[in-house]
Amino acid sequence: MVVLKQEEMLNLAEDAVSLALMKGVDEVEAFVYQGLTTNVIIERGQIARSSRIIDRGLGVRAIINKAVGFSYTNILESKAATEEAVLKALSSAKASKPDEAWHNLPAKKTFASVENTYDSNVVELQSEDLVKVASMMLDAAEKADKRVFPIEGGAGASYLSRVIANSNGVASFDHGTIIECSLATIGHEGGEVTPVCFEFNAERNYNIDPEWIGREAARLAVSALKAKRMETKTTNVIFTQFALQQLLYFTLINAVKADYVQRNQSAFKGKIGEKVASEIVTIYDDGLFNGGLRTWKFDGEGVPQQKTLIIEKGILRNFIYDNYTAKKEGKESTGNASRAGYLSTPNVEATNFHLMAGNKSPKELITEVDEGLLVYYLQGAHSSNPASGEFSVVATPAWKIKNGEIAYATKGAMLAGNIFEVLTNVSALADNERKIGQLVAPWVLVENVKVIGK
Amino acid sequence: MLEEGKTLKDVLIKVVDAAAQKFGADYVEIRAQRLFKTMLTLKEDRVEAAKQGIENGAALRVLMNGAWGFASVGTLDTETLTDAVSDACKMAKTASVRLKTPIKLIETKAAEDKVLVKPRKDPSKISIEDKINTPLTMSNTILGHDSRVKSCTIDYLDLTGTSYFINNEGTYIEQDKLYVWSRILATATEAGIFTFSREEIGSTAGYEIFDVETPEIVGERVAKRAVEQLKAKPPKGGTFPVVLGPNVVGVFVHEAFGHLAEADLTLSGSVLSDKLGKKIASDIVTFYDDGTIPGAFGSFKYDDEGVPAQKTILVKDGVVSGLMHNRETAQKFDTKPTGNARAEDFRVEPIIRMRNTFMEPKDHSFQELVEDIKFGYYFKSFRGGQANLDGTFQVGIQEAYEIVNGEVGEPVCNASMSGNTLETLLKVDAAGKDFELWPGRCGKGQTAFVCDGGPHIRVKGVLVGGSA
Repeated sequence: MVVLKQEEMLNLAEDAVSLALMKGVDEVEAFVYQGLTTNVIIERGQIARSSRIIDRGLGVRAIINKAVGFSYTNILESKAATEEAVLKALSSAKASKPDEAWHNLPAKKTFASVENTYDSNVVELQSEDLVKVASMMLDAAEKADKRVFPIEGGAGASYLSRVIANSNGVASFDHGTIIECSLATIGHEGGEVTPVCFEFNAERNYNIDPEWIGREAARLAVSALKAKRMETKTTNVIFTQFALQQLLYFTLINAVKADYVQRNQSAFKGKIGEKVASEIVTIYDDGLFNGGLRTWKFDGEGVPQQKTLIIEKGILRNFIYDNYTAKKEGKESTGNASRAGYLSTPNVEATNFHLMAGNKSPKELITEVDEGLLVYYLQGAHSSNPASGEFSVVATPAWKIKNGEIAYATKGAMLAGNIFEVLTNVSALADNERKIGQLVAPWVLVENVKVIGK
Repeated sequence: MLEEGKTLKDVLIKVVDAAAQKFGADYVEIRAQRLFKTMLTLKEDRVEAAKQGIENGAALRVLMNGAWGFASVGTLDTETLTDAVSDACKMAKTASVRLKTPIKLIETKAAEDKVLVKPRKDPSKISIEDKINTPLTMSNTILGHDSRVKSCTIDYLDLTGTSYFINNEGTYIEQDKLYVWSRILATATEAGIFTFSREEIGSTAGYEIFDVETPEIVGERVAKRAVEQLKAKPPKGGTFPVVLGPNVVGVFVHEAFGHLAEADLTLSGSVLSDKLGKKIASDIVTFYDDGTIPGAFGSFKYDDEGVPAQKTILVKDGVVSGLMHNRETAQKFDTKPTGNARAEDFRVEPIIRMRNTFMEPKDHSFQELVEDIKFGYYFKSFRGGQANLDGTFQVGIQEAYEIVNGEVGEPVCNASMSGNTLETLLKVDAAGKDFELWPGRCGKGQTAFVCDGGPHIRVKGVLVGGSA
């Protein structure tokens, strides 16, 4: 199938905008998205599948008398389908209710430059190349230890492009690449099965290390064997980036979204300028992070992405905004409107949520702990209370730390607490920053976490 | 529409023939879809946007040299589909290079069928204005319930359309799709305390679901819980006896057992991998996964491999009696496929998913379940749950109460329970005579619409994660 070029995508969007204006809307925005993905998939110890997915479409947001309507279609070949999408956006707006807080769509602005978001080497990858990548990873895991079973994983390469045009003069194109490689393993020995262990690389440039992923996924599974229950106590916990990402996604990240703040769903409401975290905690939402997984020139509304200071040495500085929430407060959008491809209207979302690293090696961080827990992944983080920040989750797998060394794997330990207390109890940060989803962070040492063992 | 359907059938036959004859596929299937969606998002009484979408597309899957090749495209013409199926064949050949165990499919009877849905209230015939009134009434009920309720977010979705399935073994199925779904979230605030409450509604019957789950009833339920939680206390951490409500039992069956009995995960080494035919639960435990319950959110006539849905027994009187299969895992276990192969849409491949998963009721009254507990917890409604292959489960609870001296007492906030499936199912010591089925969505890389349920049950001991 032919790839849509920049001009074709721009034409499609601009045609939709002019058509809607002709039909009498007050304002209109068209978003064109294209995603081309090639995957090679590992299932139960072998490469078993390969797939190629082409997904593209047009989303139209129309505003009539301050009422917002939206429509999308993935039929891009005919003018009739575009027209139908425009008419449906129009009829949706007419059926909807006016929103007095609606101002207008964003205007055109200059974008900052972004680096390392597109790599032609990734675009050119074929399934044969990805089979090689996946094989290297699989071999490394299998060579490492007989007790390791690679249950699933694979390698994938995506090319994504997007265009946004609106009746306020915006007409912009951006594109990028993502390459991913991952392996999930379990360890088994004498009837014991470990929880699922997982390692991966995800990068914008073709810069991955499949052998490391295989070795690391195997090492984790083996070290998760011979797990023991631990006692219930309040103790020190080192969260790896995986655990931190799961915990923050459902709690802290919501609390800094202007939408949550304005609607009384955030514990941070009215706390700008106040101390909300330990003074070693500094967080940016950085839409321009070099090679960041969520780095783009512009957000889902065509607003330039930017670097926004969220927490500075423990003091809350800013929230993140899209166009609607910003204008409601007479502010400018921070470029945090996110969309699920062409399928949805924009929502406030973090870009690269960057918790600044410290200067200790992970080993040094462990050495500092007399007694505690190293938590790799969490189970049940999505059942946290998103408003209060309270969580009650299982640490699987996790390792007991004793006298500055990893002592043994633990079984079924639960962690209970409040994310805002966790933030104030952060006592050290490692230097091993990495990207996981929207989080960029190091390992984090937190004091006084309640662990329920039995 | 009918004529278009016929044209599409001709196209699909042609492409399937090309795959088998020209490109040498051993097995080929195409799943084409024409889908229409209406979506609404309300934040408080503000309609954020009324949304309508059209999605056309096809998923083409081939088996060649023992490996799968898959392609997904958003265009339904002969040329695009032929290119895509050729692509899928190439993908399969590439993937097969390193194969140790070739993939095979169990044989199934070819089927030709046309499945029509006959809703009493067809969502595609209801105006958007009328649809907006449903969440709007919910929102008014929620915000009007108590001044401490500060916000609510309501999502509404209806999906209608047709799915076309064809393979090179003679199966051709046209199946109407109909889903009506809503998720309602509310928060309440008082003196620095934040509470959160959620509900979901889902049906494959039609818009008439709102005649039973009326906006007022659902709105009250959500708002009341958010307010009651304001005075709730955190639970103690540790092992306690618990009584679980049908809503929690459902998610417990789904998470703690169901996922492990999805045959792909069983083969991956879940703790059930050597338990088929063995006793893992107390005598009163009987679990089903049933795709045939009329109107239930997880029901359908044929799965996405063209296999009829059925009622599958998973545990009978404590003994593991069956797993959930697709054609590939059924071949491995030398058994019949159960109709559990489901794909979220044409963008993804079918994988093994649950449908309506539940525990069979027994004979206890609620009072009998509670009366012997000196101190424990009553977990009435869940917030979320997650499973792990080693049998570790977690279920977060949004509505809980203490049980003190055989009586349900004060409300408890932000509790969750965890344990190991194989240990916990043996501790289920009594089950109620009541029964409820609750709609929900399950994530396994893709989203599937499901129901979970059962009676009230009592568990002798489970780990409760609390901060007190």
